[in-house]
Amino acid sequence: MRLKSALDLYDNAPCGSVSFQNDGLILDINKTLAVWLGYSKEELIRKRTLPSLFKIGGQIFFETHFFPLIKMQGFIKEVYFDIVKKDKSTLHSLINVREIPHSDNQNISYQATILDISDRWHYENELLKAKQLAEAESKAKADFLATISHEIRTPLNSILGIGNLLHQTPLNKNQKEYARLLLHSSEHLLSLVNNLLDLSKLEAKKIVLEHVPFNIVELTNILQQTFSVRANEKGIKLSVEIQENTPHSLIGDPVKLNQILTNLIGNAIKFTKKGMVSLSISVEKNTKSEVCLHFKVKDTGIGIPKEKLEFIFQEFSQASYDVSVEFGGTGLGLTISKKLLEMHQSNLNVTSELNVGSEFSFNIWYTKSQTSIPKKETIGTDNLKNHNFNSLKVLVVDDNPANIFIAAQYLDLWKITYKTANSGLKAINLIKKYDFDIILLDLQMPKMNGYEVAKKIRKLKLNLQPVIIAFSASAKSEVSSELLEAGINDHLPKPFQPIQLFELLRDCQNPIKKKNSLYSKSIKKPKNNTITSIKTNVESFNLERFQKMANNKPEYLKKFRLSTLDALISYQKDFKKAIKTKDINALSDLIHKSTMSLYYIQADPLSDLLNECRRILTEEPENKSLIIKNKKKIKDEFTIIINGLKKE
Amino acid sequence: MKTSNHKDIDRIFNVNIRGNGTRPMLFAHGYGCDQNMFRFIYPYFEKDYKIILFDYIGSGKSDLSEYSNEKYNSLDNYADDIITICNHLKLKDIIFVGHSVSAMIGVLAFNKSPQLFSKMIMIGPSPRYINDIDYNGGFEESSIMELLETLDSNYLGWSKSMAPVIMGNSDKPHLGEELSNSFCSTDPEIAKNFARVTFLSDNRQDIKKVTVPCLILQCKNDVIAPVEVGEYTSKSIKNSTLKILNATGHCPNLSAPEETAEAIEQFL
Repeated sequence: MRLKSALDLYDNAPCGSVSFQNDGLILDINKTLAVWLGYSKEELIRKRTLPSLFKIGGQIFFETHFFPLIKMQGFIKEVYFDIVKKDKSTLHSLINVREIPHSDNQNISYQATILDISDRWHYENELLKAKQLAEAESKAKADFLATISHEIRTPLNSILGIGNLLHQTPLNKNQKEYARLLLHSSEHLLSLVNNLLDLSKLEAKKIVLEHVPFNIVELTNILQQTFSVRANEKGIKLSVEIQENTPHSLIGDPVKLNQILTNLIGNAIKFTKKGMVSLSISVEKNTKSEVCLHFKVKDTGIGIPKEKLEFIFQEFSQASYDVSVEFGGTGLGLTISKKLLEMHQSNLNVTSELNVGSEFSFNIWYTKSQTSIPKKETIGTDNLKNHNFNSLKVLVVDDNPANIFIAAQYLDLWKITYKTANSGLKAINLIKKYDFDIILLDLQMPKMNGYEVAKKIRKLKLNLQPVIIAFSASAKSEVSSELLEAGINDHLPKPFQPIQLFELLRDCQNPIKKKNSLYSKSIKKPKNNTITSIKTNVESFNLERFQKMANNKPEYLKKFRLSTLDALISYQKDFKKAIKTKDINALSDLIHKSTMSLYYIQADPLSDLLNECRRILTEEPENKSLIIKNKKKIKDEFTIIINGLKKE
Repeated sequence: MKTSNHKDIDRIFNVNIRGNGTRPMLFAHGYGCDQNMFRFIYPYFEKDYKIILFDYIGSGKSDLSEYSNEKYNSLDNYADDIITICNHLKLKDIIFVGHSVSAMIGVLAFNKSPQLFSKMIMIGPSPRYINDIDYNGGFEESSIMELLETLDSNYLGWSKSMAPVIMGNSDKPHLGEELSNSFCSTDPEIAKNFARVTFLSDNRQDIKKVTVPCLILQCKNDVIAPVEVGEYTSKSIKNSTLKILNATGHCPNLSAPEETAEAIEQFL
């Protein structure tokens, strides 16, 4: 009687029950589950395995995760599976399994209890949809914000440029003050817009950390110069102290560090009415190859109330509404700094006392550079005028007359010969007629945009291909393979400061200095920290791009191929020379000048290997075995490509 | 930010070394779990061999911060990791035991550094999971896409419940507490990427280049690597022996450790 009721309970229980053996074969199944699935017991028992009732994804999951865990643990609780019913519809289920031990190890069996969670699954699905919708909307808003910020930068470029130019004309006292205010306000507006753009990029994870050599003293000197004017105006003392034993030559991301310190020092000055603001840098930890630096920005400002401390890192929040009215700002600086530090696996610490002052501090690990990096000469405004560009010939291409006007004013000032074009078509016609060393090219133009113009220029048969520098309203640290693909050498964010344009032109004039240009820093694939990730299954090169460019004319293709062959042979020599003396600069130059050739023949493996070689020489110069390995791979790639080009 | 140096390799791959012998036996786990996959197998070899166990980056107790989708976008980089571990431990004359996708990772590692390996044992290998002209891998491309979609929509539910419960396990006292809650429970993003890399791989050309003696252990009724695939692999590798086990499923190392260990012992 008892047995009968127990069996009855088993068969008609409100949950499914199935037992199966080691290989998954179903030994028994209760009526509830059989009814749910639409099978008769006879169709399943000793005929089907449990996993065979799952969808294909579930079957793989069963083999790779579920079964190993039962073997390890003896039971599993509440794992989700889709079971396919006889009519091919789906039963959403949670499965509990326990092992039924057996004296004979071979005959272990398992007992599974199955709950029908279809209702819950539908609820969850609805919630998930709602969540995805909310996220999509939030993303749409962020995109909108990014677009608007982007649009604002273009007219801002004109305002800032003209403000700068106005400042250099003879003005009376009142006019000088007006011009100063105009400049000040437009710079302020620019920093707000930049912050908005940065934040949206950080949120979208579009920003990557660079690993480039820099000099920390140079970086702080420039910061001090930048902020001393504002500090002086407010009557605040601004000091920078670097602990004596701090290594000066480091490898890391100076742009991000500069951004963080600019935010913190800018805030400190903003919120301090009297007293001082100080930046101090000390060594926190020091190993043979790396150093952890401690940065501290301290002020004697208004301080932050205790209860507000946790909110200051949130977007758009300042300690109080009154604060933002009195001091201005979007309150984005701290959020951005915090996110930039998170990219460095670090965080921002703050201590503060109301009406006494605040102290922000953080640590960052840097690799020590084996070679010392000299401080770059900082260019005073006087040097800007005196530098001799002599024979440099420039073409300015922009559909916006205001932008052309501004660029032209500076080129006049620096006595550079130039021509202008207000469309891509006109530019190309000019290039066919005259030789240019440098093309300053706006990316956003109607009809033919900058990318298309650049691609067309690269296809022209010219005595000398010019350096193409793009103006783009997209922000500074964007990694853009599009630029590279279009054959654009470098880019300048709009609005730009005159000094940025000056440096870029000067660097183009002296190709040796090109390694410091934005080009080699910004157009680089995100790279791995540790182990080489060179794909061997990728082909070494192919001529598809040339074939397209040759437009079915075999004589062109042959010409392309032979000129690339010549170039590759000379690059091979350059490489041998550079690696023999471990000359990083020579290697950088090689990488720079080979970029276009390697791009056209799609020699990605070689290009990756060369960059990897530079990284090894910079970061791990002692790692001889790695260098030898890398060198051999590069030699092999060169051989493959050169032989391949000869044969084609 | 910090780059890993030699000292870190033991830690980031959770390398464990056991056994009394000198000749190294390197056990490489497959997709889904970690080195615990071999816990019923390696004890058979502890007496005569040096046993090396590790977790791939992204699995088990490896250092997840070393993982990135870009870096592990092909099996190649997993193979590089094997070589890194071997060089770090200065291993030579290695007997490589690879389960499931690790068999192919081992093949790639062999092709890069053949001098490291002396013998290879492949448990449930598949050089290509998706059917092709004149090739039956066991899966239609659509099934694999369905798996990837399933992982996309579903993995969260799975992985959360896959973390083993840590408790006094009286049924399995041998497990003790050392079984971490990491077994079989990976970051959903990593699991998805590893699945993609695994099930979309095609190593049919690579296996032809293997020259050391190989043992291919093939189960009956393996959904993931059917017998036909085992036969294909065996035909492609000149110096190989195919052994069909009585065990079923994809993990004979768990379901039939004794039979599996015996087959390996015979081969060695």
